[in-house]
Parts: sequence; structure tokens; C-alpha cells
Amino acid sequence: MPLTLSVSGVHKHYGGNHVLRGVTFEFGEAGTYVFMGPNGSGKSTLLRVAALLERQDEGSVGYHSGAETLKADIALIRRITLVLPKVGVFNSSAFENVAYGLRIRGVGRKEIKEKAEKALDSLGLLHKRNQRAALLSSGEQQRLGLARALAIEPEVLFLDEPTASVDEKNTRIIEDLLVSIRKEANRVVVIATHDKEQAAKQADRLLYLKDGRIVVP
Amino acid sequence: MVFDKELFSIVTLSLEVSLLAIALATLIGVPLGVCLGRCRFPLKSIVVSAANTLMGLPPVVVGLVLYLILSRRGALGFLSLLYTPAAMVLAQWLLALPIVIALSHSAVAAVDPVIAQAARALGASPFQISMAVVREARYALSSAVIAAFGRVTAEVGAVFMVGGNIAGHTRVMTTAIAMEVDKGGFELALSLGLVLITISLAINVALHLFQRKGAQPSG
Amino acid sequence: MVFNLPVRSMASPKCLLKLIGLAPLALLVLFAGLVLVTNFANFTDLAWAGGKEIVCASTTSTENSGLFAYLLPIFEGKTGITVKVVARGTGAAIELGKRGDADVVFVHARDAEMKAVEEGYFVNRRDVMYNDFVIVGPPGDPAKIKTAGSAIEAFERIASGGHTFVSRSDNSGTNIKELDIWKKAGLDAKGRKWYLEAGQGMEKTQRVADEKRAYTLSDRSTWLATKDKDRLDLAILFEGDPILFNQYGVMAVNPGKNPNARYTEAMQFINWLVAKEGQEAIGAFKDAHGNRLFIPNARLDAR
Ligand SMILES: Nc1ncnc2c1ncn2[C@@H]1O[C@H](COP(=O)(O)OP(=O)(O)O)[C@@H](O)[C@H]1O
Ligand SMILES: [Mg+2]
Repeated sequence: MPLTLSVSGVHKHYGGNHVLRGVTFEFGEAGTYVFMGPNGSGKSTLLRVAALLERQDEGSVGYHSGAETLKADIALIRRITLVLPKVGVFNSSAFENVAYGLRIRGVGRKEIKEKAEKALDSLGLLHKRNQRAALLSSGEQQRLGLARALAIEPEVLFLDEPTASVDEKNTRIIEDLLVSIRKEANRVVVIATHDKEQAAKQADRLLYLKDGRIVVP
Repeated sequence: MVFDKELFSIVTLSLEVSLLAIALATLIGVPLGVCLGRCRFPLKSIVVSAANTLMGLPPVVVGLVLYLILSRRGALGFLSLLYTPAAMVLAQWLLALPIVIALSHSAVAAVDPVIAQAARALGASPFQISMAVVREARYALSSAVIAAFGRVTAEVGAVFMVGGNIAGHTRVMTTAIAMEVDKGGFELALSLGLVLITISLAINVALHLFQRKGAQPSG
Repeated sequence: MVFNLPVRSMASPKCLLKLIGLAPLALLVLFAGLVLVTNFANFTDLAWAGGKEIVCASTTSTENSGLFAYLLPIFEGKTGITVKVVARGTGAAIELGKRGDADVVFVHARDAEMKAVEEGYFVNRRDVMYNDFVIVGPPGDPAKIKTAGSAIEAFERIASGGHTFVSRSDNSGTNIKELDIWKKAGLDAKGRKWYLEAGQGMEKTQRVADEKRAYTLSDRSTWLATKDKDRLDLAILFEGDPILFNQYGVMAVNPGKNPNARYTEAMQFINWLVAKEGQEAIGAFKDAHGNRLFIPNARLDAR
């Protein structure tokens, strides 16, 4: 049974800046959900709040397994992840970057190696496993960020501008992977993008965000 | 050049005292500096600037104050630590601590905040997030410790006052050099000077390496 | 703080490099722990470890003569008491004793010692040995002090001829003696063109005198120990006047004033110094050039 998510009446302020103004949606089944909207419309903020990395000022964010609503504790947080637009690679090897999420979960050494290598492979980075992450190209770093997220096998995956500032070749690799994840149809994937083509290609459901509200385009 | 037993024991004692002082300063200063860099609390900026100010503490003042405290009539006189290597460790520790704290703080504060965000997004607990940041700052943290080590090994005033430069007990490289020059024992002074220079050279090479490694692109 | 590394990546040299991140810190702490465990007794006061130990405040010149390095092992072998010598200027050495940071004071400034005894800071002061001061200068002796009848007269001749004189000006025992002689001669040398204030130790002052072709007051120990080594083109031009005698005394910190002072051990040291064995050791002591530096002269009556 996939982990699902519902957001209701969420407001978020940064100082006097009212960024999210009552956002409500429900992603009740596996699939890829894409948020579009102009810069500054609040997409990134919404993803951070929905991924439980930031607290909303008002409203609720709930995760469900079937009919059951789960407590927002570290156990739940560890079942979801968000890939940031600026990846923030750690100053270590590509392998170590991907292994990080597994290490902090106390996964055994053999399993780490297996899963990390699989994640690296799925993004065409296996041959770079021993390279220092900081020395990878920005496209490769973006892929590494995705591999790092996939390694922990998140049940809900948030992607904030996964292909912004990435060249065509890297964009294709990332998009192909997202398509194959979508085909598996076993989890909720949430993407924020302002790339219309990408949105059209990936989305099971497309949502528009404008001035902190979900609107009909 | 003289490489005799006396020289050897002076060098050994110097290294033991300084390493012990630095280890203690590291044990306390690095976690404190990391806390300063990671946590928010009232008066934080005052604590940070205090550490930065104390970094430039004149060693002779540290020596004098410590002497008065450790003196048999001083507050801690009952410990009878004056004129022991332990007193020198204490003096060097006091000199090293603010350096380690202040430099650790800036090392951690210099880490791109996106690192903490990424660790958090991958499910790290607050402690694990701090560890990820520490790991990111590891070269700068090592530099902080090495810089502090460089300062304490080169220091004369404080260790002279609380150690007493007692032959075979508390005579370290710097105090021995000062004394030998004074009495015209240039040979031993030069040998010791050479050892000291070698050590500080090694320190600077290490610092340089760490700073270069740490400065490599991370974005 | 050290993160686990997978076995395979550890094996590659590149990944070994990763370890240097925090490894120095870990190594450091490890090493320090070792030092602490193996050296704790040496690092703190021996008394903590059950050993006996006293602090002797003395002067830099006495320590530099090498006397203590010769005497103390004999004493320690005999009694098991370690004597830690803290060498300072005369004034500072007496002050250390007054504060109770030393147990015994061994200096050569009789008047100052007597005064401190009268003030009640010290007890059982004993004469131990003496050496003497000499006036050295250019071998040609331009001021003709060789024929002077006294040290005071020698100083007068230097002053009246305007011959350069280098003073230590460091408040040492030698310096105090020099000022005393100027005073007795009724001369105010300070500030005169021919009077140079070196502000240095004895050996450096001698070297300055050598370079300036000047006179200076030195102690015989330093003179003998350094004249060849430093290739000094100077000679002893005046000696033997009783005013030039440098009496060394030893005294114990008064336990009534400083209850923490280790009086028993201090007295053991003093008694050994003035007894036959200590006196003979002092007489037998020779510097690196084979010169006898001190003449033992303890009398059995305490003062
Ligand atoms: N951490 C923050 N602190 C203050 N303001 C923020 C923060 N994050 C976002 N904002 C503000 O919120 C608004 C929405 O930003 P964001 O959610 O990044 O929009 P989008 O991702 O759609 O471009 C912007 O005005 C931005 O300046
Ligand atoms: Mg954004």
C-alpha cells in the first residue's frame, strides 16, 4: 500500500511575506504530480512544507497508509525525501554521497554497497563512484542528488526543479529515469518545475501555483 | 649541532606538553565551536566575539594570572601544580582554547547551509546533521587545531612563568632557547631552534594542505 | 566523528586520503591519552606520587655555572629528595621564597637576604660558598687600574679618564655590587657618555665590553667559563679587594609564614650543603674548562 499525502489549508509566512495562502490538495494514490508556476509563486516552499522539512504556520500536512494517518516523527520523515534544486553534494566520493542516507539509517555495509551502487547505476554514475563529488559537472551533481535520494528508496519523492541548470544530455537521463519510476506506479512523486514540456511529459496530474494558491490556468 | 640526551628530553617534553594541551583544547574547543556555529542562543554574538578577542590573549598575561592562581598562596595553590609540566599544559590549554573555539566556529559557519538542508532531507537527525556539517568542515577544523598547536609550541612567556624552566622537569624548547641564548649556549639553542623551525614548517605545510583541500569546490 | 568507510574504498589510496579529514584529531587525542596515562606522575608534583620534592629559587648565573647539575644528583641519590631549581634574578628569587612558591632560596645578595630574614620570611640562613668579582678590560689598561689600591679607586680612575664602562643594568647581583661601588666612590655614573647600560646577562655584557674596548665588572665564574669560548680580548685588571667577594647564602622559607612550604626537606638540603659532604662537593665542582668556580666557606653556626 503506497504512502499517500494530503495537504489542507496550508499557510506560510516569511516575515511579512505571505508565501502560501491556503494550499489544499490530496495525492491519494501512486503517481507523478507536477506543480507548475512562475518564479516566486511558492513551489519550493510548498515542497519543503509538504516534505516535513519546514513547518507551516496554519493548516495541516498528513501522510497516510491506507486509512491510517501517520504521526509526523523521524520514522515517517525517513520514508520521504526531497531533492533540492541546489543539490549540496557532500565533500566526499560520489559513492559516499549516495551511501549517506543509508548510513544514517544504520544499514549494514553490504546492503549499503548494493543499494548505493544500484542508485548510482540507475543514473549512469557507477563509473564515477570513487570520484570526488565536488569535482563532478553540475549535471552530474544533479544526477548524484537524485541517486542519493533514490538510494534510500523513499516512499514519497519530492523533486524541486530537477533539471534546472542542467544541459540537454543530463536532462534526458534524469527525465528517462523519472518516466521509468512513473511506470513502476508504486509511489507518490511530486515535482516542481517551470518547464512546460517536462511537466506535460511527466505528469499524471498537473497543478498550477500562483501567488501561493492553487489555481486553474 | 648537538643531539644529545638533554636536547632529546627537552624536545620530548615540549611535544608532550603541547600535544596534551592541544588535545584537551580540541576535546572541548571543537565541540564548543561547532555548537556556536550550529546553535542559536541569546548573547551568541557576544560569546563569538569574546572567543575572537581571547584568541589574541597576550601569553604573558595568561602566564601571570595562572601563576597567581597556582601559586601556593593562590586559589588553586593546594594542588601544588606550580612549576610542573601540568601547569604548562594548563597555560597552553588556556591559550589554545579560544583559538580552537573561534576557528572551529568560523569553520562550521563557513559550510554552505545547503549541506545541512540536504542532510535533513535525507532523514538525518539534528545530531547527524551537525555531524554532516562537521564532516564538511573537517579540513578547516583540522586547520584550526594545527594553528593552535603552532601558537602554543612557539610560546615562551606563559610556560616560563608557570613552568619555571626547571632543568629536567619543565624545560621546553622555547624556554631553553631563551635561556641558552642568554648564557651564550648557542649550539644547543641553534639545535633546538632548528627542531622548532622544522616543527613549525611541518605545521605550515600541513595547514596549507588542509586549507587547499578544504577550499576545493563543493557546489 | 570518524565516519565508517566501506572496505573496498578504504583499500584505494585515494580514499585513504579521505581519512586525513578528522584523523589528525583522533590521533592527537589518542596520543595525548597515552602521554597522560604514562606520564601523569611526572607531569604533576612528585609529592602527589609520594615522592619528595622541593623548589629552590636561585639566580640565573648560579644555575648557568652548572653547579646545580653537579650537586643535585649527589644530594638526590643520598636523600631521595628532588630539588627543582627555578632560576631568576636575585630580587625575583627572594620574592618567590617570600610568596612561598619556593622552599629554599640560594642566592648571593647578603644584605637583601639578611633583610628578608629579619622581616621573618626566612629562617636558618647559612653561608655556603663564595666566588669573587673581577674588573676586566682591554689588556692595555688605558685607565691604569692595575695599580689601584682598591676597587673604589679603580672605578674612580675609569670615571676620571672617561674610559668606557659597560654595566649589566639588569638588577642582578653583579649589577647591585657595581652600583654599590660607584656609590661608595661618590660617583654618579648613570647617564654619563662613557657609561653604557647593556641591560643584558653577564656573558653578553662581556661581549659588549669586548667590542667597545671597555671595562666591566664580571664574576669570576662567568669570566672563566666564557673568556676563551667567546674569544674575548679582555683581561682581569683588578681583583682581590674584599668588597669584590660574592658570598652565597642559603635559607629556608619560614614555615610560620608559609605553612605550605616543605620545611623539613628544605632543612635537609641546607644541612647537607653546609655539612662536610656538601662543602666538599662544592669544592670539587669544576666547570667545563676545569676551573674551580666556588670556594666553600660554610661555618657551623647558623645565622
Ligand atoms: N527561507 C526563506 N526565507 C525568506 N523568504 C523565503 C524563503 N524561501 C522562500 N522565500 C520567499 O518566498 C517566496 C516564494 O519562494 P519559492 O517558494 O522559492 O518560490 P518558487 O520556488 O516558486 O520560485 C519568494 O518571495 C521568496 O523570496
Ligand atoms: Mg523554487
